[in-house]
Amino acid sequence: MNSIEIKNVSYQYQPNKPVLQEINLTIKKGEWVTILGHNGSGKSTLSKLIIGLLKPKTGEINVNGIPLTQETVYDIRQKVGIVFQNPDNQFVGVTVRDDIAFGLENLQIPREEMIERIETYARKVNVLEYLNKEPHALSGGQKQRVAIAGILAMHTDIIIFDEATSMLDPKGRNMVLETMKQLRHEGKTIITITHTMNEALLSDRIVVLKDGRILKEGSSQTILKDKTTLEKSNLEMLLPLKVLYDLEQENYTNKRIKDLLWELSLNV
Amino acid sequence: MKNIVIGRYIPGNSFLYKIDPRTKIIALIILMVAVFMLRSLIFMLAGLGLIMLLLAIGKISVKRVYLGLRPLMFLLIFTFSFQILFNTQGTQLIDVTLHYTVLTIPLIIALFFFWMYTKKIIRFKLLYFFFIVSLILSVLIFIDVGYTLNQGALTIYSQGLEMAFFIMLRLIIIVTLSTILTLTTKPTDLNLGLESVLKPLKIFRVNTEEIAMILAISLRYIPTLLDEANKIMLAQASRGVDFSEGKLKDKVMQIVSLLVPMFIISFKRSDELANAMEARSFVPGRNRTRLQTLHWSSLDTVALSIAFVALFTSIALRIFV
Ligand SMILES: Nc1ncnc2c1ncn2[C@@H]1O[C@H](COP(=O)(O)OP(=O)(O)O)[C@@H](O)[C@H]1O
Ligand SMILES: [Mg+2]
Repeated sequence: MNSIEIKNVSYQYQPNKPVLQEINLTIKKGEWVTILGHNGSGKSTLSKLIIGLLKPKTGEINVNGIPLTQETVYDIRQKVGIVFQNPDNQFVGVTVRDDIAFGLENLQIPREEMIERIETYARKVNVLEYLNKEPHALSGGQKQRVAIAGILAMHTDIIIFDEATSMLDPKGRNMVLETMKQLRHEGKTIITITHTMNEALLSDRIVVLKDGRILKEGSSQTILKDKTTLEKSNLEMLLPLKVLYDLEQENYTNKRIKDLLWELSLNV
Repeated sequence: MKNIVIGRYIPGNSFLYKIDPRTKIIALIILMVAVFMLRSLIFMLAGLGLIMLLLAIGKISVKRVYLGLRPLMFLLIFTFSFQILFNTQGTQLIDVTLHYTVLTIPLIIALFFFWMYTKKIIRFKLLYFFFIVSLILSVLIFIDVGYTLNQGALTIYSQGLEMAFFIMLRLIIIVTLSTILTLTTKPTDLNLGLESVLKPLKIFRVNTEEIAMILAISLRYIPTLLDEANKIMLAQASRGVDFSEGKLKDKVMQIVSLLVPMFIISFKRSDELANAMEARSFVPGRNRTRLQTLHWSSLDTVALSIAFVALFTSIALRIFV
């Protein structure tokens, strides 16, 4: 079964400045897809289209086989959750508990079940001990995990991470990546949006966006090694691969190897 | 900026923490009305005594309340001085001549600058301020040496003095009452309380849930925005904007350099927040279930009764005394 079908979708914020053009993309249930692209390539716009925050200018979107329309948008939002980039700008509640409850209150979940779900998912993302804390007492990684708990508690089938780790320190980032891996095992459909390679490595499939068009799409293994595609879309290749490619060029010297490894160690 | 305590909840466990937020909000309104009914300084003093008693039983430190009053210090001093200097009703209590001579004028200017530069290192700023003011007054009253440039009169009337204390006390009591509410009520509860207290407005087609949501989000974002303001001030300071000193014109520039980025950031923030809320199935005006619920207990009945007794007492005092 397909989780998401995007057919021939275009979008523009301002006339004659298309942000997305003729996007065709199908994501299967339980698949983990990375959308990769430089800043401004239209990644966030795509995720807002999927959840019906924006309406496509042309084309159509199906979620779980249901066409996205004015009538179905609220039902579809119950199936799709987004974790946004800035942990501060998606924290609605006054406390962690209230914030996880926010989505559940909107879904009109009865109070007893709410309490149960809050506890379950707070434990799952490891924020149980912070339930009574206010957001300014939390680190970025903790806030982001609260956001994830809030989405998980809503029992959505599809979760989109829109650069959810980009504002976190390495520790916070790893915590979030661990949660994503766990979600994959549970059969959730995952879409991660990023412009760095490390995260893309974890997913099944990579879709490369450039200037609002799909430049290339394929398994993570093939895309990560695809030097021309990555260069064309201004993306940094993973350093070990970069070293490998550089060494494959014939006239390498010991000094060149040392320089490359030095560069590698600085970037890890 | 860092020490702003208005709207800050401080955890504790006295009876004030156990009263239902609805009771506290209604009692606050009732007590404020009661305070405005009072007509004489004696009653106001009695009121202050009762408030101090409330603070003592409720185990709230006077220091916390003082911190809440501090931002209003200027207003307090201003209204106090205004009444003392310009209210000319009642009997004249003090009438002294102020001597502005070639000696005293440089002396008070010197005192003023001395205060300006030393106030930063003195701990009891308010006390120090009054000390300097009385020093300046003593200079003007008692030193009549040198060529006299001008003479002024300092006259204080009984009514002026009384009103000065009366208004100051009233302001202190009202701010203290509101501080007690915010100190002892979790923002979540405060918000729930407000929502249900506002509910009667529904008959006027006011969307009370939406008002409550706006209040909740404002409460949620005050600390974040203050953090942001601090960051911007640091950033601007590193570009050479000095926020601590300066003339009025500089002050205006400083505020503009703070407000413009704050405005832009808040705009972006609210756009993102609105998206995040909608993505989590929030639809304005649609029914929601609530995680938090409120419970009325006998403590609330007692507290509310006491508030009403206070109100009726002050109404009676107004009518019969
Ligand atoms: N609300 C908006 N109004 C106008 N233009 C926008 C708006 N949001 C994004 N854009 C523009 O659309 C393009 C794609 O933005 P976005 O989808 O946010 O890219 P990405 O997430 O890949 O960085 C950018 O050129 C951006 O300037
Ligand atoms: Mg983006």
